Amino acid sequence: MKTVKTLSLVAPLALAAFAPASAQEFSKELVEKGRYLATASDCVACHTNHAGGKPMAGGLPMSSPVGTIVSTNITPSKEFGIGSYTEAQFADAVRKGVRADGANLYPAMPYVSYAIMTDEDIHALYAYFMQGVEPVEEKAPETDLPFPMNIRASMMGWNMLFRPADKPLENDPQQSAEWNRGRYLAEGAAHCSTCHTPRGVFMEEDKGRNLTGSQIGPWFAPDITNDKVHGIGSWTQEDLVTYLKTGRLDHRAQAAGSMAEAISYSFQHLSDPDLNAIATYVRSVPNPDASQASAPTRFDQGKAGNELAGFRGKGYAKGIEGDHAGAALYVANCASCHGYNAQGTTDGYYPSLFHNAATAGDNSTNVIAAILYGVDRHTKDGHVFMPPFGDQPNTINALSNVEVASLSNYILKDYGNAKLKVTPEDVQVIREGGPSSQLVLFARIGMGVGAVAALAVLGVAVWLFRRKRPQTQTAA
Amino acid sequence: MVTKNSADVVIVGTGVVGVVIAEQLLDAGHSVLMVEAGPRVSRAEVVENWRNAPLGVKGDTSVAYPPRPWAPHPTGAEKGDDAYLQFTGPDAYDQTFIRYAGGSTWHWAGTSWRLTPEDMRINSLYGVGRDWAFDYDTLEPYYVRTEHKLGICGPSDRTKQWPQTGDRSAPYPMPDLPFSPGEVRFTEVVKTLGYNNIPVSQARNSGMPYDGRPACCANNNCVPVCPVAAKYDAETALHRLEKKGATILVDAVVYKVETNAQNKIEAVSYYDQHKESHRITGKLFVLACNGLENPKLLLMSKDDRNPNGVANSSDQVGRNMMDHPARSFTVTTKDPYWSGIGPVVNSGIMETSQGAFRSEHAGAYFRYNNFARNRFVTFAALKKGLVGKALDEEIRRMTACTADIVAAHEILADPNNRLTLSDKKDWLGLPKPSIHYDVGDYVRKCWEVYSQPIGKKIAEAMGATDVKISPKFNNSKHIMGGTIMGKDAGNSVVDVDCRAHDHENLFIPGGGAMAAGACGNSTITMVALAIKAGDAMVEQMRGA
Repeated sequence: MKTVKTLSLVAPLALAAFAPASAQEFSKELVEKGRYLATASDCVACHTNHAGGKPMAGGLPMSSPVGTIVSTNITPSKEFGIGSYTEAQFADAVRKGVRADGANLYPAMPYVSYAIMTDEDIHALYAYFMQGVEPVEEKAPETDLPFPMNIRASMMGWNMLFRPADKPLENDPQQSAEWNRGRYLAEGAAHCSTCHTPRGVFMEEDKGRNLTGSQIGPWFAPDITNDKVHGIGSWTQEDLVTYLKTGRLDHRAQAAGSMAEAISYSFQHLSDPDLNAIATYVRSVPNPDASQASAPTRFDQGKAGNELAGFRGKGYAKGIEGDHAGAALYVANCASCHGYNAQGTTDGYYPSLFHNAATAGDNSTNVIAAILYGVDRHTKDGHVFMPPFGDQPNTINALSNVEVASLSNYILKDYGNAKLKVTPEDVQVIREGGPSSQLVLFARIGMGVGAVAALAVLGVAVWLFRRKRPQTQTAA
Repeated sequence: MVTKNSADVVIVGTGVVGVVIAEQLLDAGHSVLMVEAGPRVSRAEVVENWRNAPLGVKGDTSVAYPPRPWAPHPTGAEKGDDAYLQFTGPDAYDQTFIRYAGGSTWHWAGTSWRLTPEDMRINSLYGVGRDWAFDYDTLEPYYVRTEHKLGICGPSDRTKQWPQTGDRSAPYPMPDLPFSPGEVRFTEVVKTLGYNNIPVSQARNSGMPYDGRPACCANNNCVPVCPVAAKYDAETALHRLEKKGATILVDAVVYKVETNAQNKIEAVSYYDQHKESHRITGKLFVLACNGLENPKLLLMSKDDRNPNGVANSSDQVGRNMMDHPARSFTVTTKDPYWSGIGPVVNSGIMETSQGAFRSEHAGAYFRYNNFARNRFVTFAALKKGLVGKALDEEIRRMTACTADIVAAHEILADPNNRLTLSDKKDWLGLPKPSIHYDVGDYVRKCWEVYSQPIGKKIAEAMGATDVKISPKFNNSKHIMGGTIMGKDAGNSVVDVDCRAHDHENLFIPGGGAMAAGACGNSTITMVALAIKAGDAMVEQMRGA
């Protein structure tokens, strides 16, 4: 706690010398370095409304367990963006989650990860955002979370407890330079743990179980530790680099949801040495509950097959009511692309549904999410697109919860993890954007029953807030 | 404010014309109520209807779309008095269309040839038929908007684009699709005869997703339904329109268009599936049921002010029914051609539709059908008495070594080709359409002196060992005419914006308005007219 406080006092001072960007002329090289770091940090994925919005102009609604958070305009617009930020204010926003006006960001912004970024890299990022990004003079919609999360000061207590020290990582001399570079990128800019590390009751990352898998909105970011059974311990270095470049590994896995965005906007654009560095580090991260090496993995379940003989010729209505309902739904909705035996295509554009991580994970989240939300991924190989079967404007067929459950159970039983069962209620949870956190409820109860404790936390927070503000103003 | 009985804009029909206009009006901030005679079904159901149908009935694409009793449409199963469409005259106007939410683009091939500047001035240039009320340059921007709205892929090479005359103001949003092995070979063969087989511009996502729909994955099932919605059909727009605020009523058969004292449209009335009547009021009304249902509805709606039917002071409603009368050459070849990779129609010879000969006879468009042949040849193979491996081998040989070449002809607008109300009634007690039809000497002469000789020459060049020519003109299901467009209210039904001459708040866009249809499929032109009408409606609402 002491470290946090100290740094929050010292770091802004160190950078306070820089004036706002308009007075600056950054070198082209510095701006390009910043552009690369912004790509590695995947800023554009969240800070752009991909349905017609301009890059970095914000406005993307993101479902979080505590409500919908809307990303902000981070173009150098002075009125609507961050154009009047000093470098110190910019550094505080990126590494501490504190806005220029002193208000706290929600940790949907992965400042917890960005905290380890060096001053040098923050400087380059700042140069890029001030000079390399087109200002967009439009206001992004405000985030409106339910009480008490709408009180941004409530984040102060959270930060005191969970925000790490924003100091550069010390290199681990026991490890290679490549490993250290990989750790810096994976734990920092690339913020792998934001999605892949399970969270505690206060939505804080449980670093003791780093990268062991977590729910992220409607998707499940799987275990990517080097565990041979639950993680990606069966992948080679080349496998992981290929996956990060293309978003897929034939007959094993493909990226959807946030990972498809991360591949599309970030990983595929990184240099080979950096991708190798990330792979080297990630492949060294252990699962604390290491499993037996002999068990089957999520990459080798299921086999080709169909139940056509059970319903073909009986009529659609009968088919989806009978014993083969899931199979009938599969044939009607999925087989035209994935094949009547779920075998996919030889070029892998349409993956097989057996030997596929999405259908054989430890939970059924990604089967349901793939059906409801589809897949949308841009790589150098082209635009991979599976249409959604939810309630979107472009749904190809708005399947009901019962139908999605039935279809999921067929896919799991014949092609994936046969131990899993999906209920219509499970589907509804994913349809609503994923499980919601009990945090809102806890906080409300906390406000009512434990008002004293809550006030105490807020009191500390306000004290911190007051302490910080003068320096922010000085810096401006 | 849209309710189930009132809106700013009431659109009868949920096919491509209706949904395109609906979106324009919704985007301009107006309330839209759409009324569909038939049911709303999922793509999955249509796909499985087709797959569950036995091979023997698959010649009739309507097996995938069984009509509801209250919304009959033509099926192959009903003949004579039982059939929905009644025929008189030397030829049968034996069309198919679908009364389902999403309309007949459910089962179109997606073929999207533009008209040429010459096609639209056929009377001025060749002294036959009727000129359009405006020229190609007026229509061109609406073609571009149609190509982007529907997602029409086509070649960027100017020498492979259609039309060759007339300018394009923007490229296609997607590239053309590659040819199947059979098409590659066909293209080479016809080249030796001096003909250019060019890529069809088609409403299909070529190698990429478009507008939130996936890329074509070559199911070769475009007709009767694209199982993945890579081909544009109007069903793909319905959910989006609802998200934008449209209300879509289904199983609601509009049977009357009601006029008021100013002879403006006041309301439409429909029967639900329980034969109960309901009335809908609005400011603007659109009839988007194409060339058969629109004239039928207008004729049924006659009142004291409009004794010939609504919008019919000219007596042209129901007249000038057109199509593209087609003859096919089923060719058996020595060497394999292999149709069936990619979409069912993917290339064509269009240049044979143009020329000075049009003062004497029609032109024709030749296409190599790219349907996989196995389902067409299986019964012939069975009739040979083969079984087991020999049967399989024969089906395979015939699949590879047969091909269908189709010649589609230009027909002229003729007021004697006319839809009237039959005394036969449908399930609701509404009159069935009756059509008097004669393809005419213009078409017959073309077949005798032009298209049949060309077809035979092509078959010979393909190395045909056998050629079977269809004995009569088949229908192409390209319904045109019926509410023809013109500047003179005395001999046409709608104005240049598809607004009824007789009723300022009634729009009748689509194929019915086309004054000349040349040889190319009509949907792209229908949609271009719809977008033009939609612009006019947005403008008219501004003044309202």
